[in-house]
Order: sequence, then C-alpha cells, then structure tokens
Amino acid sequence: MLEFFGRFHPVLVHLPIGILLIACLFLLLILIPKFANLRPAITALLFLGMISAIGSCITGYFLANSGDYEGKMVSNHQWMGIGVAVLSVLLLFIHKYAKADSRMPTVTSVLLLVLVSVTGHLGGSLTHGADYLTAPLKEGGGKAGAAIPPIPNVQEALVYKDAIQPLLKNRCYSCHGSEKQKGKLRLDLEAYILKGGEEGHTIVKGKAEESELIRRLLLPGSNDKHMPPKEKPQLSQDEIALLHWWINNGAGFNEKVKGLKQPDNIKAVLAALEKGTAGTIANKLADVPEKEVDPANEKYIKSLNNAGVMIVPVAQSSNYLTANFINAHSTADSVMKALKSVKDQLAWLKLEHKSVNDQTLKSIKDCSSLVRLSLNNTKVTDKGLESLKNMDQLQYLSLVGTKVTAKGLKQLSKLKSLKSLYLYQTNIQRSDWGALKKAFPKVTLDSGNYRVSTLLKDTTEVKATPAG
Amino acid sequence: MTRDELNAYKLVKEAQEAQLSGVTRRHFLKESAMGLGALAMGSLLGSCGNLFSSPQTKIAYDPAHPLLPKSPPFVGKAKSVIYLHMAGAPSQLELFDFKPELMKMDGQDCPPSLLAGKQFAFITGVPKMLGPQASFAKYGQSAALVSENLPHFSTMVDDVSFLKAVKTDQFNHAPAQLLVHTGTPRLGRPSIGSWVTYGLGTENQNLPGYVVLTSGGSFPDAGKSVWGSGFLPSVYQGVQCRSEGDPVLFIKDPDGMNRDLRKASIQAINEANEQQYQEYNDPEILSRIAQYEMAYRMQISAPEVMNINDEPAYIHEMYGTQPGKACFANNVLLARKLVEKGVRYVQLFDWGWDAHGDSPSNSLNIGLKNKCRSIDKPITALLLDLKQRGLLEETLVVWGGEFGRTPMMENRNGAQNPFKGRDHHTEAFTMWMAGGGIKKGFTHGETDEIGYSAVSGKVDAFDIQATILNQLGFNHEQFTYPFQGRPFRLTDVGGKVIHEIIA
Repeated sequence: MLEFFGRFHPVLVHLPIGILLIACLFLLLILIPKFANLRPAITALLFLGMISAIGSCITGYFLANSGDYEGKMVSNHQWMGIGVAVLSVLLLFIHKYAKADSRMPTVTSVLLLVLVSVTGHLGGSLTHGADYLTAPLKEGGGKAGAAIPPIPNVQEALVYKDAIQPLLKNRCYSCHGSEKQKGKLRLDLEAYILKGGEEGHTIVKGKAEESELIRRLLLPGSNDKHMPPKEKPQLSQDEIALLHWWINNGAGFNEKVKGLKQPDNIKAVLAALEKGTAGTIANKLADVPEKEVDPANEKYIKSLNNAGVMIVPVAQSSNYLTANFINAHSTADSVMKALKSVKDQLAWLKLEHKSVNDQTLKSIKDCSSLVRLSLNNTKVTDKGLESLKNMDQLQYLSLVGTKVTAKGLKQLSKLKSLKSLYLYQTNIQRSDWGALKKAFPKVTLDSGNYRVSTLLKDTTEVKATPAG
Repeated sequence: MTRDELNAYKLVKEAQEAQLSGVTRRHFLKESAMGLGALAMGSLLGSCGNLFSSPQTKIAYDPAHPLLPKSPPFVGKAKSVIYLHMAGAPSQLELFDFKPELMKMDGQDCPPSLLAGKQFAFITGVPKMLGPQASFAKYGQSAALVSENLPHFSTMVDDVSFLKAVKTDQFNHAPAQLLVHTGTPRLGRPSIGSWVTYGLGTENQNLPGYVVLTSGGSFPDAGKSVWGSGFLPSVYQGVQCRSEGDPVLFIKDPDGMNRDLRKASIQAINEANEQQYQEYNDPEILSRIAQYEMAYRMQISAPEVMNINDEPAYIHEMYGTQPGKACFANNVLLARKLVEKGVRYVQLFDWGWDAHGDSPSNSLNIGLKNKCRSIDKPITALLLDLKQRGLLEETLVVWGGEFGRTPMMENRNGAQNPFKGRDHHTEAFTMWMAGGGIKKGFTHGETDEIGYSAVSGKVDAFDIQATILNQLGFNHEQFTYPFQGRPFRLTDVGGKVIHEIIA
C-alpha cells in the first residue's frame, strides 16, 4: 500500500519544483518597483510549494523504501529533498515576518532556487540514469551504439569481464545497479546477478530459455515486461545471442572465451566483436578513404560535366567524388586531364566508355584515392593494368568483358586493399584459375559464367486435373 | 513677420528643441523594446531552428536539369534498386515459411482464438486449417528453408536476407500495395522510386531514372498511382515501359518524318516553351523543356537498351525468356540491362499471385506452382548475372508481395472453395532482399508454429522503406518534401532501419 503512494512521487515532485521556482522568482522580481504588485501572490505560492514539497518528501520516502532504490545518490536526493521542504517552510516565515528592507528573503530564495535545481537534477539522474543529461554531448550523440567495446584477441578474453559485463553495464545498470534496483534486481555484482530479482530465477545456469533475463529480452517490444523498456536502447540480436550462450554454458564469471563451446552463430558474433563491428549502427565510411580531403576545384568538375561525365560527391558529407562515363562524349586528352586534376578526390570511377584503352588508363595512374573502379567492356588489356599497380585504396575492380589474362592480373597481386575482382568474360584460361587464386588469397575472384540449368518444370505448366 | 510673432516662433522652436534634446537613445530603445526584442528573437530562433526540428536533407532541385545525379546525405552502399513485386500476394507458407505443426492441424476447424477480433477479406465463420501444400528442404550454408516450388532460387539462399515476419495493416490489394510503395494506403503520395530519383537523380541522362515494367496480364490493383510522383515534381514519376513491341509507345519517328525534321520540331516547341517561361517564370516549364530534350535523346538510346534480343543465347536461357512475349523473365533481363546502363530504380510488378482457391489458376496446387515456375529461373538468373558483372554489390534487389496468406483454407461466403487456397493475411509474411550492402545468407524474424503471427523480428512496410533509403544513403526521417505547409516523408511517422540485415 505504502509503495502505491510511493509511486506518486515522480508525478508529485514536479509541483514543488514549479511552484517554489516561481515563488522564488517573484521574490526576486519584487525588488524591482515595477513588479511590486506581485507581492501578495508570494505568500500563497510559498504555502502551496511548501505543502507539495512535504508531500513529495513523504511519497519519496515510501518509494525509496520500496526496495528498488539504494545507494549514495538516493540518500543525497532524500536529504536534499527534506532540505527543500524545511527551507520552504523557513522562507514562508521569513517572508511573512521579515522587515520590508530586509535582505533575508532574497538570500533565502536564491538558496532555495539552487537547492531545488540540484535536488531535481539528482532525482532525474535516478530515473533516467546518471549520464542521461550529458549523453548527447558525448561522442556519438548518445545514440545507441555498440554496447560492447571491441575486444582484441577475443579468444583469450574473459567471457564475463570483457563481453557480458560491459553489455550489462551499458544496457542494464541504469535501472538494475547500485543506485536503483527495479524489481529488486541488481546486475552489477556477481552475487546479485545469481541472486536475481523478485521473480527469482533471473539466471538459470545452463538453461537460457528458463532464465527470466533471456525471456524478458525476447518478449515482443510491445509487451510491458519486455526489457529494456522500449524507449531505452535495445540489445541487438548478436548481443542477446551472446548472453544466451553465456548462460547456457553455466554463466560462470572466470572462464575464457576459448574455454566455452562455440556454435557457428557465436563464432560470427565473436569475430564481429574482435573487429569492433558488433551492434554498431553508425554508417561506416569504409567505402571511401578514411583520410579527409579538400573539396575538388569546381572548374574541373564543370569541364567534366560539359564533356558529359557525371561527377558528384559520393555524399553530401564527403569531398570524395564518384564519376560515371556512361554519357561521356569522349575520353579525349582534355577530358582525362580534367579527371587527373581531381585525382585526390576521385573515389569511385565507372570508366566504361567504348574508347577506353590502355593509353586512357595512364591518365588515372595517380588516382591514389580510388576505391571502386569499373572498366567493364573496354579495350583494356594486360598492359593497361600496369597503371593500376599503385592504387593502394582500391577495394573493388571490375574487368568484365576485357582482354586481360592471368599473367597481366598478377601485376596487381600487391594491391593491399583489394577485396573483389570481377573477371567474367576475360581472356583468363580455365587452367589459370588455381594459380590466380593463390596470387590473390584474400580477394574474392568472380569468374562469372554462371548457368541456370533448364528443368522440365521450367517450361511446362501444371494442368488442372478434373475432379480431384 | 512682426516682432511678437518672431518671438513666439523662436520660443516655440526653443521649446521643441529642448524637448527633443531630452529624448535620448535610451528613450528610443525603451519605447521600442518590444519591437526590437521581437526582431532579435526572430533572428535568434531562426538561426537555431534545429533546436526545434530535426535537420532536413537538402536536395538541390534544378528544374532545368531535374534528373542530374545528386549526392545522398551519407555514403550509401547501393546505387540502384530493382524491386520485384509479386502483385496479389504470394503464399509464404508454400514458399519460405515451413510450418510442420500446421500440417498436423490440416483439415481441423480453426481455433476461435485466431479469429476473434480479426478481419479477413473473404473468410467468414469458422474456416478449416490448411497444411503446407509443398514440401520443404534446407539449402545452403545458412540452412534456409525453401519449398520445392523454387528449385533454382533455393541455390541462392546464401546471397539473400529473408525477412520472415513482415506485417501490414491493409488486407486488400490496392491499399496494401500503396502502403508498400508510397507509405500510405490512400492515393496521392509519391512512390519510393520517385523519392529516390528526386533525391539522387540518375546516372544516365538518356534514359528515365525510374522505369516500371509489368507482367502477368494485368496492372497491379492499385493502378498507376503505385508508381506516381504524388506531390513531387511530375518528372519523378515512374516511366512505364512495355516489354513487348516498342518499349515506349511512339518512340519511332512516324513514317515520312526524318530525324532532322524531328529535331527541328522539338527545337521549335522548346523555343515556344522558353518564351512562356520568360513570361511566367514557372519552373515546371523548364522541366517540360528538359523532358522534350530527353525524349529526343531516348529515341536513340532507349530502343537499344530496351532491346533484349541482342543478348547472347545463353543469357536468354539463363533467364528463361520468351522472346516477343510480355513476361516476367523478359522484364527481369531488361531490369538488369537498365541497371547496367545507370537507371536508378527499376520497379517490376508481376500480377497473378492471389491464390484464393476459387479457380485453378488461383489455387495453391496449380496456379501458384505455375507462377513460381515463371519467376524461379529469372530471379535466380538476375542475382547471378548482377553478381558476375560486379553489380550486385551496388544494386539492392527486393522481392515481396503486399501481404501474406492465411494458415486457414479460404471459405468464401462460408462454403469451401473448389480448390486449395488461402485468404489475404496481414499478420506475417516473407520478403527478401539481396545485394546493395545487405547481409548474405541471413534470416531475420520468426513466426509462430503455424505461421499465423510474428513472434520476433517484426517489420512493416515503413521499416522496409527506411532500409531501402538507408542503403542508398538517406536518413528516412530527414528526407522530406514541403507540401501543404508541412514537411512530408516517405515513412510518414514510422519506420526503423532493419539494422539486423545490413552487412
């Protein structure tokens, strides 16, 4: 019953905050003769503020005793709240009985203003978490990012300390930690985790499905019992999988990652943790070089546009450029010279014009920022590939429909960023593929030439059978 | 002027000057405090407008060159989209969502808990449950379940991400299709392709940026609004091309009209339009001039790009095309060609998936199987062909219908339908996406044991739209267009990017 009244605290506290603030403000304003007529209102305001402050203290006391809250922040908030109530009583009397020229009411009201603000802030921190206010100022704007920091050498790491604990810390501690224990659950210390909350069996060692922790995480977001509450940052599927795996393996606190059995799905999650890509939501800029560049000279962009080359920044937030020659009138020297002038900015290039040959490629030799390059259906041969040798950023190269051979491609085996190489309809002999794969161990080579066989079913139709 | 008059004049002047000298800058500031304050407040608020509204994506709209390529706000993984819409809504229970439990319930009365408070298009009273009408097996490293109806596509599961718990709130075809493509079940909003071409322009200035191809003998139920441009400038509406005969009607010069004459006439029309523009300054006139110029260029380039006959025979075999016919396979091959040539958004509609069981062609055992046969090879070939040309990485392929189908057998007007069929179902259905930065070999979302409702990973049309825009480099919440006094966006007030399926 008392807890029921306690739950009115979060609503009630807004009254003393508002009323006392306005009372204090009026007390300061009446120092200006023009606002002297506010004076009669102050007594009533202070009285109402005092009553609501006392009410808040009483309900707050019930709430604090409900068992959901504990710790230093709560006791600070409690005593400062009581302080607010006492000071408001005091101020009421001072205001009523002080002499007209006394400075006492002014000084006391400033004091009360400060006290109300600080108490209110502490209360807010208790409800929303200590870093709620400042989170948007921090890097990443306080938006949901990876809850688990990257773990170098993940197999040697401790499961609980390096993966589970940071996850609980970033997603659960604000309500189930040292300051606040919603549902009487604390997740910040090992003993408390095993003890569980008021419904018990928060964690059932070895049985993730029976563990309340996992059950709550998996409930649909619309269910009131779903955790975290739907307005808070949610756990990603990978993060839930990690908790599930940890509980199923006994929920120990000292095991190393390599000590636990790792099914395929967990292997993938662990690999992502090592790379630091698990649960990250930010759009990574891996598609353009990480180094920043100055914007390209408008003059060259304009002259390329006039030559029918479509060239724009890859994004409004980037100075890197993407160019497509699909409507280009020609690849004459003047055009290629303009292209060369934006070599530092050029990140993606589709140079698929029928006039492109080995000679043309010489003019993009110094385009060291190129990440993606398509030369499909051009007259490029092995000789031209020499011009691509120093493109350290190049990740994606498409040579579909050109005359390149395995021999020519080997010139490119030192390209350190290369990830995919498209080689459909080139002059590579079937016998060369083995050697080529060896020369490019980390690159996905696509030989193309896929076929989809024709089954009998593909060309016939199912007929309606009479009466069946 | 008499002496007295002069004195009086001097006195008055003196008094006035004395009074004026008392009016200082302070008086001015004091008297006009409110007015000046309001001015200052206005400029203050104006400069921090971001405090009150989220930042909006800036789109440089140039009415004279409306389709020039533009940069997205952030770097997108995908540059173009091919959207394969199976109009009529294919049955997820016969394609991807295998439910052995449902098999056990086959023929039993539907439990009342599944019917209470639900609306169906045709089901009335208590229908019977209907087990899966196809056998399933697991395929690929991702062990995805695919039915026997798609033998070719089952080899591609390691390249796609399945969304198994898509939900909608519309149970009739037209509104549901509008919701999927325009973000509202009612008419009048721009389609995704229009938003995308408005935001990104297109790379090939000799072709439209947004092409629509239909097959299956009928238009989608929602009609042409489903590729309309709504309140966006009309140049961004989908350009419907035919897959049979001339790709665009009247693209050939008429007999007796040679190319020079055509050019001269278009020039004359444009000059007249130019004069109109000088007079009225309406930017839509500039768009019109640009459209005439593009139409002239398209006369050369479109027949070449739109002609699938010059593709080699093995490509035709791969897609299973039927030369000279209007069919899905031809459209899919054409879609690949268009994307290769720099078209931004290709929208395909294939009609005829509405397997109610009221006729052989609308049944799960006959019509659906034949529809599957008509798409199985083409969709498989599309993914492989995009891949071998290095295009799958930058092309987002989306497959799906407007809703799903019920685990119950349809009982139209309370009587059993003559063939095996299912009613429209809004609670859960399957879609898939591939390429364009989407995870390979992944399944998101799950339905309950009879496939009636979503259990986890629930997504809706807005989430899918948000994800498509995200892959192209847009934040769907900031990509807006001002109309009727407020900014509009594709996803209205919904939509969450499905990060789970993004690689």
